[in-house]
Amino acid sequence: MIDLARRLLRTPQGLVGSALILLLAITCVLGPALAPLDPEAIDFLGRYAPPGSAHLLGADQLGRDVLSRLLVGARDTLPLALAATLLGTMSGALLGTLSAYLSGRWDEAIMRTIDAVMAVPGLLLALLVVATLGAGELNAALAIAIAFAPGMARITRSVALAARRMDYVNAAIARGEGGGWIVFREMLPNVAAPVVIETTIRVAFAVMLFATLSFLGLGAQPPASDWGLMIAEARPYLHQAPWVTIAPGAAIALTAIGFNLLGDGLRDAMNPRDER
Amino acid sequence: MSPILEIVGYTLEYRTHGGTRRVLDDVALAIGAGEVLGLVGESGSGKSSLAWAITRHLPRNAREVAGSLRLDGADLRAMTAREIRSVRGRRIGMVFQDPASALNPTLTLGRQVTEVLELHRGLSPADARAAAIEALNHVGLHAPEALLARYPHEVSGGEKQRVVIAAAFASRPELIIFDEPTTALDVITGARILELFARLRAETKVAALYISHDLALVSRVADHVAVIHRGRIVEQDSGIDVFRAPREEYTQRLVAAVPRPERRLVDDAPRADILLAAEDIGVTYGRPRLFGRRQVAGNSGVSLQIHAGEILGVIGESGSGKSTLARALTGLVDFSGSVRDGTRRITKPKQMDRAYRDRVQIVFQHPDSSLNPRQRVHEILARPLRIARRQVSEIPRLLEQVRLPTAYASRYPHELSGGEKQRVAIARAFASRPALVICDEITAALDVSVQHAIMELLLELRRAQGTSYLFITHDLNLVRQIAHRLAVMRRGALVDLLPVEALSAHADPAALHPYTRELIAATPTPVG
Repeated sequence: MIDLARRLLRTPQGLVGSALILLLAITCVLGPALAPLDPEAIDFLGRYAPPGSAHLLGADQLGRDVLSRLLVGARDTLPLALAATLLGTMSGALLGTLSAYLSGRWDEAIMRTIDAVMAVPGLLLALLVVATLGAGELNAALAIAIAFAPGMARITRSVALAARRMDYVNAAIARGEGGGWIVFREMLPNVAAPVVIETTIRVAFAVMLFATLSFLGLGAQPPASDWGLMIAEARPYLHQAPWVTIAPGAAIALTAIGFNLLGDGLRDAMNPRDER
Repeated sequence: MSPILEIVGYTLEYRTHGGTRRVLDDVALAIGAGEVLGLVGESGSGKSSLAWAITRHLPRNAREVAGSLRLDGADLRAMTAREIRSVRGRRIGMVFQDPASALNPTLTLGRQVTEVLELHRGLSPADARAAAIEALNHVGLHAPEALLARYPHEVSGGEKQRVVIAAAFASRPELIIFDEPTTALDVITGARILELFARLRAETKVAALYISHDLALVSRVADHVAVIHRGRIVEQDSGIDVFRAPREEYTQRLVAAVPRPERRLVDDAPRADILLAAEDIGVTYGRPRLFGRRQVAGNSGVSLQIHAGEILGVIGESGSGKSTLARALTGLVDFSGSVRDGTRRITKPKQMDRAYRDRVQIVFQHPDSSLNPRQRVHEILARPLRIARRQVSEIPRLLEQVRLPTAYASRYPHELSGGEKQRVAIARAFASRPALVICDEITAALDVSVQHAIMELLLELRRAQGTSYLFITHDLNLVRQIAHRLAVMRRGALVDLLPVEALSAHADPAALHPYTRELIAATPTPVG
């Protein structure tokens, strides 16, 4: 594990990605303490204040400090996006490995079901789920997880099929192990590398998807300062105060870049053959 | 007369994160015109690195410290990339170990031969086609015109290797490097390739560097043999002399480890009671499809008995169904027929319960894939012990049993050598104190000296625990040293089941199946 971290930090992408994500993590933990002003304090006279000494990133249509809202909003945005991704990728990985292990009719049944689910575009599926369960942050996270699982199951299954053919799995069957042990202890650890890398890349998608849902009013509800919601609320005033839209947009982009770079770095770090 | 290839004081290092590693140290070799030099070494001895150095295809982290490589007087190291391209293929031919990966699967065989001819001999497409037909004819392939239009996957491994050899000889090079050309092939096919090699050599008088791990084989095909050990040439002499009277201690060990059928390692007789019996075992691969069934028979009608304390050798070529039989007996595939375990009849894998699995264990061919790379040795051994209702505290004893330090329990498989990994796999199989261990080509991926040590270990374990072995191999010399009886398989069926004495020189050959006779004839007997 320590070895992996060292290899990760040796690649430039890994180093920059890790630094960006550390920065985001600090924001999530200390956000409210770092915020210079009350994110929900309305200042009628300071509406549309441009970035300056009073408001570093400007103020929005209600005179609320954009920087403060951004710092506090990190808490609403990132942990949920991360949780949704983890839930989606983990369940997908488990399903894919299980499908590869069971093979035959079960494999066929699971994979064809997943094909059917994949035929519906991710955003549409998420919309469908939220529309059924009702708007709200947790439901949006669940919707994202469901939208992510099928793709992940496909990727994992292809790797798990290779692991299934390995003799250590045959050896486990030959000594009489049950399916649970084989899936969890013999196969899953060996399909982890692509799963972890895919997960980091999907976190960025989750932030976007979450922002999209909030933007459509199906995720976080006002006056929460979720980044996607911030963009949605500021959209009508784009011409008067572009900074209100640009700041959260840049924050989302930064998150996406951070996780993508981390994924790139992990891909190199988890391939020990690259050692030479 | 100046040599075709002359290597003087060649030293090569690889830079890794752990520092520099010297792979070739002061290597000096010379190959004269029409001469074959055999280069023998175990894995990691640097023999392949030397081949790459000669063809100037070294990895980026390689550093050449000293020495020179000369092809007919011209310095290969001083050549530019463009000059090297005109040397490769035209003046130095190369034949690799695995013909399946040496040929491009998306090009026809014809294209892969004519390409060489057009590039290196400047022939027009029509002339190249004619020359290719001649070249394929020359390597003993029937109907070369038809073969030209086929793709590599449509022909057998032996035919593929013949095409590779034809392509290598087609440009009339001065030197051909053979890198284990028969290792990936069956015994009989390999023997034919060696015959071809001898014939082409006599006809073309080409100089050759023949790289192999098999000392017995090299001493037969080469005029001179150089033994390489950890990047150093330890001994260089005429082929027969190296084998008959090795001077260096390392070569002596290597020669002693070569299996010889006349030197029996087992002298006891098995007991009369039957431990396990396979009755009419049949296995088919492939599953029913929507339109019709496409199925391949892995085994058909195989019946044999294994006695208590017996070593039953199973021999045959790849694809003959040896491993399929092992998989059926351990319940890894569905089978028809039955397995009789004492008084019980088992007809499907689900009926193989704890007691059966404790009694019948398996060791696989590749230790790399049979040990989970994410588990430490401790976990690899603890799990079978727990399943067999035994104590985890027995792990040190298990490791001692296979002659491994007890500290190895905290290591990962990739931190072990190939032989050590196979020892861990054997320890795992013995965790439940089995009555029968199925050994599926367990030494095929190992060096000769390591193979020797593993065989001794197996026999020692057998002496201590009275274990029976079903020993699957393609190496007739090896199995004749240990087996009580031999089962010969071909195309999924058992063709011969006989006591090992029936194979000895003074036994009646008429008692053997023609295929068995062919197999014996193709197996190289060690000289000396």
